Amino acid sequence: MSVTLSESAARHVSNFIAKRGKGFGIRLGVKTSGCSGMAYKLEFVDDTHDEDLVFDSHGVKVVVDPKSLVYLEGTELDFVKEGLNEGFKFNNPNVKDQCGCGESFNV
Amino acid sequence: MSIDPTQDYFSLFGLQRTYAMDEAVLEAAWHRLQSQVHPDRYAHLPDVDKRRAMQWATRVNEGFRTLKKPLARARYLLELAGVDVGVETNTAMSPEFLMEQMEWREAVEEARAAAEVEELEQLHVRLLHHARDVRAELGRQIDVDHDLAGAADTVRRLMFIEKLQHEIDEALLALEG
Amino acid sequence: MALLQIAEPGMSTEPHKHRLAVGIDLGTTNSLVASVRNGIAVCLPDESGRTMLPSVVRYHVDGSTETGLGALKAQATDPRNTIVSAKRFMGRGLKDVAHVEAMPYDFEDGPGMVRLRTVQGVKSPVEVSAEILRVLRVRAEASLGGRLVGVVITVPAYFDDAQRQATKDAARLAGLDVLRLLNEPTAAAVAYGLDNAAEGVYAVYDLGGGTFDLSILKLSRGVFEVLSTNGDAALGGDDFDHRLFCSILERADIDPPSLEDARRLQMKAREVKELLTSCEEAPIHLRLGSGELVDVVVTRNEFADMTRHLVQKTLTPVRKALRDAGLTPEEIKGVVMVGGATRMPQIQRAVAAFFGQEPLTNLDPDKVVALGAAMQANVLAGNRAEQDDWLLLDVIPLSLGLETMGGLVEKVVPRNSTLPIARAQEFTTFKDGQTAMAFHVVQGERELVADCRSLARFELRGIPPMVAGAARIRVTFQVDADGLLSVSAREMSSGVEASVLVKPSYGLSDDEIAEMLKSGVEHAGDDMVLRALREQQVEAERVIEAAEQALAKDGHLLDADERAGIDAAVARLRELRAGSDHRAIKSGIDAFARATDEFAARRMDNSIRSALAGHKVDELEL
Repeated sequence: MSVTLSESAARHVSNFIAKRGKGFGIRLGVKTSGCSGMAYKLEFVDDTHDEDLVFDSHGVKVVVDPKSLVYLEGTELDFVKEGLNEGFKFNNPNVKDQCGCGESFNV
Repeated sequence: MSIDPTQDYFSLFGLQRTYAMDEAVLEAAWHRLQSQVHPDRYAHLPDVDKRRAMQWATRVNEGFRTLKKPLARARYLLELAGVDVGVETNTAMSPEFLMEQMEWREAVEEARAAAEVEELEQLHVRLLHHARDVRAELGRQIDVDHDLAGAADTVRRLMFIEKLQHEIDEALLALEG
Repeated sequence: MALLQIAEPGMSTEPHKHRLAVGIDLGTTNSLVASVRNGIAVCLPDESGRTMLPSVVRYHVDGSTETGLGALKAQATDPRNTIVSAKRFMGRGLKDVAHVEAMPYDFEDGPGMVRLRTVQGVKSPVEVSAEILRVLRVRAEASLGGRLVGVVITVPAYFDDAQRQATKDAARLAGLDVLRLLNEPTAAAVAYGLDNAAEGVYAVYDLGGGTFDLSILKLSRGVFEVLSTNGDAALGGDDFDHRLFCSILERADIDPPSLEDARRLQMKAREVKELLTSCEEAPIHLRLGSGELVDVVVTRNEFADMTRHLVQKTLTPVRKALRDAGLTPEEIKGVVMVGGATRMPQIQRAVAAFFGQEPLTNLDPDKVVALGAAMQANVLAGNRAEQDDWLLLDVIPLSLGLETMGGLVEKVVPRNSTLPIARAQEFTTFKDGQTAMAFHVVQGERELVADCRSLARFELRGIPPMVAGAARIRVTFQVDADGLLSVSAREMSSGVEASVLVKPSYGLSDDEIAEMLKSGVEHAGDDMVLRALREQQVEAERVIEAAEQALAKDGHLLDADERAGIDAAVARLRELRAGSDHRAIKSGIDAFARATDEFAARRMDNSIRSALAGHKVDELEL
């Protein structure tokens, strides 16, 4: 198992990294906080750490730390548009319930 | 109030208290300080932090301005040493200087009245050279000879020269339309 | 649901605490809103994919308003209630506005800022601008999926204090928290400089719809330092349109046209100007209301001839800015062109000839200001790591002074001083027992008060009675990073803090703004108490969050007792924040500031020490 990007997400990430001018890939992570206990983390990666796991999805390097991977196993990151708003969405099979905003969740 | 009024600009900028000044070093210190205290660093913080940043950044800018300009720096050094430059009180200038002063002034007045742009420009250049010599003298008096009374006298001369320089600039500006 | 954006490394925010910030280019002709998303500054489009919002507001008789393209289309049919180029009136009296006779509005002249009579009553230019800002705010919130924490609004560098204050007031009316007013050329320099990793001295030539700015900046290792700025706050692309319009009237031999025809001809003039950028000639076919046909052709050369004086007029500020910076044209490494009007070939030619080099055109002159503002807003909102930050050092464009005897101006703050700046001046009484003194604050470079812009009059009261000449009154001008002035005064021999009553010459009073806020559509039916509560809760949250970050970073500066004291203060404020008494929260915030003042001071000292630490005097990096 691993963590993947949808094709659309991968296309956007590559584009953003190219325009940003630097970056190894993106980091997906989880931290404890938020209204439902856990919150997602989505960041550019300039430096990886020794314990990091690196996946390749549609040519984009996806970096996850081992602690987060427990909660993200099998997750697909998608890029969606909703009206004027557009951005990334975690499709995470481990989630039992999440707050209305989808930014924090419980497993 | 967090701003320490007893800290002088030289120590605020981490510089030695001398007239000689490397502008590039001063500017680097200015940038370094502003990158810590500038209000832009505090724009997302509570109002009290923003106010404090503005006061600090204002002081840092004032320090930079004072240390950058030779005349302001010399006056500041004398002030720190407790020497009264005596702009208002001490008008006793040497007769030679007063004579020289009058000659310069007459030359500028004549050129201005006759709208002699070239003559004004020449005066401008001559005065620039003269100012450079006077500044060098000021540096010797403060940094080498520690003749602060003499330096105070030189500061007054330099003030006169800069004022005259400003008047020439204004006259040139007016003649240009 | 809010969709996620990619943050900079280590800069992820807590859920629901995204610091959404945008940059707004509030232009004379068009306005834009931009934001940094996924690390890249982008202009945010509306539902139809358009990023540019025409800066036009139409007031309908039914009380509704229309902003943007729809309003723009109505300007020929309903010119009186369709306000274009409101930016030209910001902080201005009627006598300051050029070409009033050619404008279709029903002006209300008064002692302060000019106002316009519409079907919805008298509108201040501040309210018109607030409508534009409100539409952009709504667009931004829909695009970013949440409330904005703050905005950077750009203003012409040559805007005076009254014009800047008016812009800030408009933002307040639109429900926006202004992080910073940023000068347009500086914003453009940020966008250009960061995209091209530029180093050296650059000139920014910014010809907007109604304003012209020329700024000279030194870019070095992440510092953008404005060396000088100059301009003309009443010269822009609109003036080129106006010349064309007048020329069309002459050629077609039209007597004063009707309001509607005038507007249609003005719109036509703008089209012709744009057409002449790519074509050698442009035809005009237009049937007037009277049935008369206008049929003329304008060539590119004719257009260049009739606007030669306008192009020349832009070069005067260029020369002045160079002189103030102590530079010659050859010392400029590149010239950045900003504003749609700089597409005109005669402008490009004149700039190239003056600087002896082709201007830089590898950026979109319409968008670069908004993009730079968005980048700065992202930094100011705290979304970037400190080590990646850049520093902007901007200047005040026009000298500030006080009126003295004989209607002369005494300069207090010289132009091109780096902001923020404070300057003090001492005055004395001239009559025995005098307890009050009147001051008149002006802005400008001329020697006579009558030739400068009146900003405010204020009166000092409560001077202790003394013999004439004994009182020493120190008046302090403080100009903040937005370029806005505040004045304070103190009698030095007695230490009495004299009260200052400032009457802005062209601004709005606090009461007027409160009245507009109350009557605004945005807040109709809004409970003022609830609103005050929300504001205090937000500020309390900001205070708590800042304190927690400070403790995490610099907690070691406190001993155990001090630490416990601050922790207790945080807990107290958190408790108050959960309550519903906005006054209690406010006084709680004030008490908290007092409790943490020493800590804050120590942190500031510490960061200043660390700024110079490890760099011995002779080792400072050059």
